[in-house]
Amino acid sequence: MSLFLYLDRDSPLHRLHPVVKVCGMLCLFVAAFVSDRPTVVLPVTAGVAGLIALVGAWVNVHRLRVLFVMVFIMTLLIWSLFYRGGVPIAAWGPISISAAGMQFALAMALKLVTFLSIGVVFLSTTKIEEFAYALTRVGMPYKLGFAMTMAFRLVPVFIDAAATVVQAQRCRGFNFDEGGVLQRLQRYVPVIVPVFMGALRRADGMAMALEARGFQSNRPRTSYEQYNFGARDTLALVVAAAVVGAYLALWYLGYTSVPIV
Amino acid sequence: MTSRADGEAICLEHVSFTYPGQTVPALRDLTLSVRAGEMVVVMGATGAGKTTLAKCLNRTIPAFQPGTLSGTLTLFGRRLVHEGVADLAGVVGLVSQDFEAQLFATNVVQELAFGMEQLGVPPAEMRRRVPDALAAVGLTGFERRDPATLSGGEKQRLAIAATLALAPRLLVFDEPTTDLDPLGKLEIFDVLGTMRRHGYTLVVIEHESAAAAHADRLVILSDGRIVLDDRPERVLGQGEFLRTHGVRPPDLSGIALGLGLTPPPRTVDEAERALKDRPARDSSPGLPEASRLEAGWTYPPAHQGFVWVAGGLSLRTGADTRKQSFHPPTRAAVHEPVASPRAGAGGAPPLVEAANVSFAYDAGPPVLHDVSLRIDAGAFVALIGQNGSGKTTLAKHLNGLLRPTAGSVRLAGQDVHGLPLNRVAADVGYVFQNPDHQIFASTVYDEVAFGPRNLGVAADVEARRVRAALDAVELTGCEAADPFLLSKGHRQRLAVASVLALRPRLLILDEPTTGLDYCEQRRMMDLLAKLHTDGLAIVMITHSPWVVAEYAERGVLMGGGRILFDGPLRDLFAREEMLRQAHFQLPDVTRLGLRFGFTPLTVAEFVDCMTAADPTSLSADR
Repeated sequence: MSLFLYLDRDSPLHRLHPVVKVCGMLCLFVAAFVSDRPTVVLPVTAGVAGLIALVGAWVNVHRLRVLFVMVFIMTLLIWSLFYRGGVPIAAWGPISISAAGMQFALAMALKLVTFLSIGVVFLSTTKIEEFAYALTRVGMPYKLGFAMTMAFRLVPVFIDAAATVVQAQRCRGFNFDEGGVLQRLQRYVPVIVPVFMGALRRADGMAMALEARGFQSNRPRTSYEQYNFGARDTLALVVAAAVVGAYLALWYLGYTSVPIV
Repeated sequence: MTSRADGEAICLEHVSFTYPGQTVPALRDLTLSVRAGEMVVVMGATGAGKTTLAKCLNRTIPAFQPGTLSGTLTLFGRRLVHEGVADLAGVVGLVSQDFEAQLFATNVVQELAFGMEQLGVPPAEMRRRVPDALAAVGLTGFERRDPATLSGGEKQRLAIAATLALAPRLLVFDEPTTDLDPLGKLEIFDVLGTMRRHGYTLVVIEHESAAAAHADRLVILSDGRIVLDDRPERVLGQGEFLRTHGVRPPDLSGIALGLGLTPPPRTVDEAERALKDRPARDSSPGLPEASRLEAGWTYPPAHQGFVWVAGGLSLRTGADTRKQSFHPPTRAAVHEPVASPRAGAGGAPPLVEAANVSFAYDAGPPVLHDVSLRIDAGAFVALIGQNGSGKTTLAKHLNGLLRPTAGSVRLAGQDVHGLPLNRVAADVGYVFQNPDHQIFASTVYDEVAFGPRNLGVAADVEARRVRAALDAVELTGCEAADPFLLSKGHRQRLAVASVLALRPRLLILDEPTTGLDYCEQRRMMDLLAKLHTDGLAIVMITHSPWVVAEYAERGVLMGGGRILFDGPLRDLFAREEMLRQAHFQLPDVTRLGLRFGFTPLTVAEFVDCMTAADPTSLSADR
């Protein structure tokens, strides 16, 4: 199993400077975030969908389709039923539906799906090393960035280890599904201990292997990947800034919130 | 890359090291000199100080490991005093057994670049070194692959390439092939040969004597001291000496000793030539005993059958009773190849029977295709095949850990998925490859008692079972010990005990000998042989040719998710081409025997068949 969505392709988005990718992602997030009206979110959603098409990242959307659909439907349902402030069309006790509520719910659902899509675009086009590089460029210490990339790499490893341990203990007649909540927590000891001890052993081995590759040599580091800031990056930044600027202006002028009907 | 340079690469003088809390030093007054461009293989039993030596060479000791270090280390004329591990990164490269812990990046090129970035190598230079390092380990074309998607052998080669990219002059390998399948091992041995030709100075710590093939010197460590340091062929000829130091002597040196071949052959080809050139002792290589082997007669298990004595090989029963050492065909030897699981059914129902099982993980490609396997009481089955052939997946079906996508698995006639977990666990024991995936308790007693407690047995029964299980694996007296402080060999046996305490009728083991030295492997396998004699059916997944040859009665060869062969082991070992295609390396003695038209499983069998002088006297003995 893998946590990575990265697609090894050569799209215009892939070629952007890592810092520009991070900035662009943040701009799109802000633009989607300030909009509470479906018609206002929709252009962002459409834009991001365009980017997905540009990158060819529909594979990843397909991989996450269950998540997309669940998020959309659940958000739509919950906000339609629990939105307060509109004029009720129908009501069952404390629950009511209003036109404003439904508009808001649709906006929220679109917004969350847009967030997910922005994430997909970013992760499909950015290697974890690039992400770490971008963060160090804006001031994060190198070792922290490295720790972050390692965390990404190790999570699947530990999930695999845990799955094996669960199987090993099941082979010894161990049943996880017995007892109350507290008992169940206690019952996880035979899984947690081996996984944890394995993690410590692994950490120890990695620390030595890192050292053997010169991790603490204290010489000035170089970078194999040369990220050059080019015209494409400038253009991307201008577009991103224009989008976020426009949305902030709309928000400031009050065009992004749901009108009370 | 590096040109062969004269002069001394390593000079260790009077080096001693003691781990904290230990009274016995791990290295004692060790002095070793290695010339630049030399390849030195270091072997020895667990605890002999091999890994400690490797860690001293790249300064992991003392930088990471507290303890008492004395003596001096000089590398390429530079005496090390305050240097840390990272300071030596461009001088000494260390590749360890655990390849997973040595990879940090998300693609192959980034992996190579990582170390160079740390050392501040200019980008242009990096671009020059990457293709060279990849070519040296045969990974050209893998540049954009994610290391997580590589096979074990490829990962280890990538770890080597990443070290080569730092342009070290000395490379230290600490058991680089231990966790690899036979194909992976061969890949690494090839790489070692290439690097030696490139003029690197190499120190290789290994359990497998095959690693010594390219070496200039073979050093045997024992209790922190060098007990032998000589040319490999001279060391490998000393069978008994190697055994006591945890090294399995090569088949060919046993044969050379048993048949008096001098000089000892280094390859199967050489041995064949030497034997065919010998003055004929009888008119043809008639090999009457060999024909008995093919008829299913066997020696007693080789581990009981012969001993090494000074200067030669003899059967434990004594030379003059040798002819009686053949046994009539055993139950296993006449076992019919199971074409259809029901075909062989006669009398008692099978313990476990997988019928037409197919399996795929989630939406992935199928891992098993219509596999049928029948395990009867008293079986001793070796499940072999290269990594990814479906061995473990099939084994995990036999106790219901995995549910087949098609087909069924029946335990004593009942569908395994209809049975409660307790019932299955009490019938089929499964020992995972890595004992650390199951050990969690704070004492050995509690660890072993975990299974019986899950079954809900009474306290006195529990105590009895724990005692019996610990007794079976020879860990009696360790009840109060902390499992995490035991050695790997002990932890492996503890894992077996903790499954035995469930009193299964079938024991499945995934690679029971991996990571153990030869003495520990013997001990583990003798333990299994004893359990088998006591009536336990055994299925073991293994890559170790000699373990299969000397212990299993039936061989099941898997490839591409199918069973390619299922039948008596000797029949399987006679199919050299089929095994070669499945990347299973036959023991040298079997390969040699096949060239003389029979299928010996052990050196003793081969020697006996080749020395049988008088064909007529044999039949009279029956």
